[in-house]
Amino acid sequence: MTTLRIFWLLMVCTAAPAFARSEAESSGTAAAADSSTVVNKQKVSAQKVDVLKINELWMVEGEKRYRANCGRCHQAPHKFPPRAMATAIRHMRVRAMLTEDDVKYVTYYMTH
Amino acid sequence: MAKSILKGIICLFAAVGCAAQDSAPPLLADSKPIPVLSGYFAFVPTWEGGSPTLVSIVSPVLLVPIGSKFILESRAAFEGDFERRDGTTGDFTGAVNKSLDYLELDYLANRYVTVTAGRFLTPFNIYNERLYPNWIRNTQTDPLILPIGTGSDNGLTLRGAIDADKSVTLNYAVYFSALSNRDHFESERHAGARAGIFIPRERLEIGMSVQHQLQDDRLNRLGFHLQWAPPRTPFELRSEGAYSRVEGNGLWIEGAARFRNIRTNVLRRAQAVARTQVFHTGSVPGANADLPTTDTKRTEIGLNYYLNDGWKALASYGRTFTVDGNSNIWTVGMTYRFVIPLGPRQ
Repeated sequence: MTTLRIFWLLMVCTAAPAFARSEAESSGTAAAADSSTVVNKQKVSAQKVDVLKINELWMVEGEKRYRANCGRCHQAPHKFPPRAMATAIRHMRVRAMLTEDDVKYVTYYMTH
Repeated sequence: MAKSILKGIICLFAAVGCAAQDSAPPLLADSKPIPVLSGYFAFVPTWEGGSPTLVSIVSPVLLVPIGSKFILESRAAFEGDFERRDGTTGDFTGAVNKSLDYLELDYLANRYVTVTAGRFLTPFNIYNERLYPNWIRNTQTDPLILPIGTGSDNGLTLRGAIDADKSVTLNYAVYFSALSNRDHFESERHAGARAGIFIPRERLEIGMSVQHQLQDDRLNRLGFHLQWAPPRTPFELRSEGAYSRVEGNGLWIEGAARFRNIRTNVLRRAQAVARTQVFHTGSVPGANADLPTTDTKRTEIGLNYYLNDGWKALASYGRTFTVDGNSNIWTVGMTYRFVIPLGPRQ
């Protein structure tokens, strides 16, 4: 019985450092993975922020152009379904002499 | 040397194209245009010199986009001007006039040119093309000079708008039309052009039009237009002038103010309008049957009330001054604008 206990203790003592090492390694890997994930997340979030900023800029520019071009002839219309709005804006490009950039920005503003 | 310059130009355009694509946000991938049925109804009873006319208009607009570069568009009008049988007494009677205002195919050739073929609204001044529908116009009666140079023509138009720089946009339209006496497709033979400068920051547009009639008396017509809607003030100013030596000449100017700064929500939807205009006959009074046959002045004031996006209630009073006598002109009524998508919405 005592022999068994000693054997068990030996096993624990020899296995523990290895286990601890592997734990440390795995936790290190995880930490490394975590840090790379954080970097990736930061990149993704930075990209998201960029996209959001660009979207916001387009919305601001779209609204500005919408008010300058559409609002001077008629009252502000509701935002129609995107595909109907795309048609209406193509029509207005011809009728109200919108520039190509006006069309892009106003379409973006009116469909988002 | 020439090849190098050409290569340089191509590279420059490619770079600009790439830059533009890079800066573009993700647009909705599925926002492909679908056919749309739009238009308006208007019921605008008018009392001119004591005689009432029940003006009722239905004007559908059909828009059919084809691919990414074309759009087929058409507008018709069904207008019934019902008058009392004996002028001021008796029942109302009258016919419904049908007209095809435009039926055109537009080809968006590039960012500078759009080619329009078919029956189009004559691009002489801007009222005919942009402000004519009753749901858009601030004052319901037509300007006295509207018959000069406007209407519909059958032929070809080149038009476009160009950003000269960030603060100025130039727009132009040149056209040629052929003679037609066919019912609902009546057209005169014209060559003409319109050019405008638009300053987006000030929301100010000024421009001028020229037209040469290539038939009958070969009349020359000149026009100018102005449209100004200051960004920080709920006010807009519109004006047009037209000159034809034979037909006559005239001018109208219209101001409209919205009460957006008033605290009361109900009043914010109201718009006060005033317009004054003058017309002088040309060397042959009556040469254009749609114009007054004597010198005429008219001043109108009115109130529009925007119930929601589609509905507008209106009322106006005006006084017409001519050598034959003065008269009052009253209007009261409603307009409704509708938009019906003819396809899947998403």
